[in-house]
Amino acid sequence: MKRYLTGIDWIIHTINHINKKKIGAGNMFQIVLQMEGALDETTLRECLNKFIKKFPVLNGRSMRDYNLAPYWKIYSKEKILPPNIRIYHLDDNATFSKVISTLEQGINIPFKNVRKHLAFHLIYAGKTSFLAVVFDHCLFDARGAEVFLNMLQQEQKKKTDYSNKISLAESAHLCKWKEKFEAGKWVNRKLLQLSENKVRTLPLDTSSNKKIFKFKIISLDERQTSAIIKTAYNKAGYLMFMPYTLAISIQVLHSIFTKRGICTGDYIIPASIDTRPVEKVAQEVFFNHMSFFLLKVKANEADSFSVILQSIKQQIYDQIKADLPADIEKASLLMRIAPLPVLGCLMRLPLKGQIASFCFSYIGEAAYDSPMFMEKKIHNIFHMPRVPIPPGCGIFFNQFQGKLNVTFSYLDGMLEEDEIDSIVHTLQSGLGV
Amino acid sequence: MNKMTAADIEETLIQEVAVILAVDSSTISSSTPLHTLGIDSFGFVELLVFIEKTFNLKLIESGLTKEDFQTIHLLASYISRMS
Repeated sequence: MKRYLTGIDWIIHTINHINKKKIGAGNMFQIVLQMEGALDETTLRECLNKFIKKFPVLNGRSMRDYNLAPYWKIYSKEKILPPNIRIYHLDDNATFSKVISTLEQGINIPFKNVRKHLAFHLIYAGKTSFLAVVFDHCLFDARGAEVFLNMLQQEQKKKTDYSNKISLAESAHLCKWKEKFEAGKWVNRKLLQLSENKVRTLPLDTSSNKKIFKFKIISLDERQTSAIIKTAYNKAGYLMFMPYTLAISIQVLHSIFTKRGICTGDYIIPASIDTRPVEKVAQEVFFNHMSFFLLKVKANEADSFSVILQSIKQQIYDQIKADLPADIEKASLLMRIAPLPVLGCLMRLPLKGQIASFCFSYIGEAAYDSPMFMEKKIHNIFHMPRVPIPPGCGIFFNQFQGKLNVTFSYLDGMLEEDEIDSIVHTLQSGLGV
Repeated sequence: MNKMTAADIEETLIQEVAVILAVDSSTISSSTPLHTLGIDSFGFVELLVFIEKTFNLKLIESGLTKEDFQTIHLLASYISRMS
């Protein structure tokens, strides 16, 4: 069985290829469930083994069809590989930073087999347990992975089979060429506008192919989160939370660039968006279903928060009006003809060797909608994504039951300790906490 | 073209919000806050673009205050006043 890959899927495969080549592990993502009490290891293993057997797509791999379209080969159910589950026991009084450093081990372990795309890490730390789900971004996006966990929870609770509600249908998209080339023309024009000046980036040392990603997580409670949303609505306008968090992120990293004396070039940020309604997410669990805004903040605008905010709002407005996210989806279908190493080079051409200044996403409320996981109350869900190289760092916002989490992800060695502390501190002060 | 009434504007906005959320328009109440309906930053900007195309009003440049924009009813009243 096969599932054709979209252009966005192929871009994600390319990023995976580049990351593997440069630092030994691909474009992986980790979702962490923080639970009250000890999650039962035997129950988890039994449920996962049973559940995963229903989804042969989890052990697929990319191939190219006779019509040259790339696809995901799905093997028979008999050939399903069991999921890796690693268990860690920390001290009863282990600090959150100790938990994070244990979680960092999990997200930095490369998948050993081309057909393995999923791993689980269960950490016991006193009265709390953490279940980390590491997945290959080629297989899921973050919302898809949360829905997958949701299905696992629902199935365990209600014993209902959700596997037949999932759609894996995707056409090869080998028609409407004029429309795709037209979309490509508009995307190319946008990229030319963005490449007017150099892209401002932090230097990356990828001399060793064993570099790991490190993380800082800021978790806020419901009271703090609603205060931040209220401030965002006052400063940026009603529902303008995503532009507000992006403006804060730009100012935070701008201070680091400035202190380093990196003062030339503009900030280029691809902000990912999922344009699907919620019920569609429940059907399209696997693969990537997002597009991007391509945002630019000029060097001379980055000192003023209100100027950055206004500029981002206007660019998002203009790009939605021009249908840029849809054009990116259509145009990217043309790029599937290029083999991954070639596309890796092509993607860096328009911005003269760079892709972005940093990565950003605001995912919003979690697609995982139960307060429990296998009889345990979930205290929080946070994200730990590895980031494309370049740029090697990113700021990500997600919410679980009205609680905001901010994740700063960076390649080890690209920032000094005092710079990392400064980023955390300025993120907190920018959010008013 | 005759000027639309606030009620007509409200109905037009309900239809568009239903398109953005991919739901039946009968499930949308004009007095429910947009964030409760499930509209996020992206959906809201889509709605603002629709308003510009339909009513020739560029609201992104206004303050987008919660008092004027929180519900479809308030938004329709605002558009009616401005157009």
